[in-house]
Amino acid sequence: MTNVADAPSSPDRVEVRAAAREASEPARVARFVPGQPDMWVFVFVEAFLFTAYFTVYVVCRTRSIDLYLQSQAHLSLGVGTFNTLALLASSWSMARCVQAAREGTYGAALRNSFLTMFFGSVFLVSKVTEWTTEIHEGNTFTTNEFFSFYYFLTALHFIHLLIGFVFLGVVVYQLWSPARRSQELVETGATYWHTIDFLWVIIFSLLYVMR
Amino acid sequence: MNAVFEKRLLVVWLGLSAITMVSLWIGSHQGRPSAVATSGAIGIALVKVRIIFREFMEVRHAPALLCRLADVWVVITGASLLGAYLVGMGLSAG
Repeated sequence: MTNVADAPSSPDRVEVRAAAREASEPARVARFVPGQPDMWVFVFVEAFLFTAYFTVYVVCRTRSIDLYLQSQAHLSLGVGTFNTLALLASSWSMARCVQAAREGTYGAALRNSFLTMFFGSVFLVSKVTEWTTEIHEGNTFTTNEFFSFYYFLTALHFIHLLIGFVFLGVVVYQLWSPARRSQELVETGATYWHTIDFLWVIIFSLLYVMR
Repeated sequence: MNAVFEKRLLVVWLGLSAITMVSLWIGSHQGRPSAVATSGAIGIALVKVRIIFREFMEVRHAPALLCRLADVWVVITGASLLGAYLVGMGLSAG
């Protein structure tokens, strides 16, 4: 973890990022890995793991397609869409947070990180409400194979979301004080948060939309 | 905040939200299994994921290795999901 105050390389990193953003041909000028490279390793390990889960789901689905379609009809497509829009909005505000921090407008960066927390909370509350509704209707983890996958995938994603809030808390903590500000750490937190977003985009497609 | 990038992020977010509404339209026609609807749903999801990678996660400014790794994951995931669906449906029909 590198603080601006004690790491002379940090301002250079900010300049490289700014140059890449502003260049008309960024490929030739300056390229950079957003955040810590370790986070990207984690992201791809997680992504491939989820690909395996998704593929097993699709294989099982094709073996009992009618059961899956009937069960899928119990889910609210509107709620799933709302969840997706909420997470997309959170990713948008997180990207704005990174950009604002890069430009040194830390007030705007903080506002956008709080906005990300708000949109993330909207998703969280919406998901818990959806689970509660399904359980009250008798659709539990053991109801059938579709609902086992539904609870497994959404709960696993939910755990990642909760960890994302920890990352957001660290980002806010870093941005709060000039002595702690680290652009690399803000980008690392953002990379994790966007991962939650793109994994949900596929989960939404598989559980709510596909036929 | 730089107005150009602020506008770009806004356009990306609105575009992703608009594409999500296409998924909503596809999903609203529940009923029989449909390879077209399923391929469309998976295709739209992967397009959205690639946009998130490139725009929100800034992979378009990243070194070539990271760009290619992101694209490879999108292609492998797409091939796995569509392959599993089409082969599985073919075996079920047979």
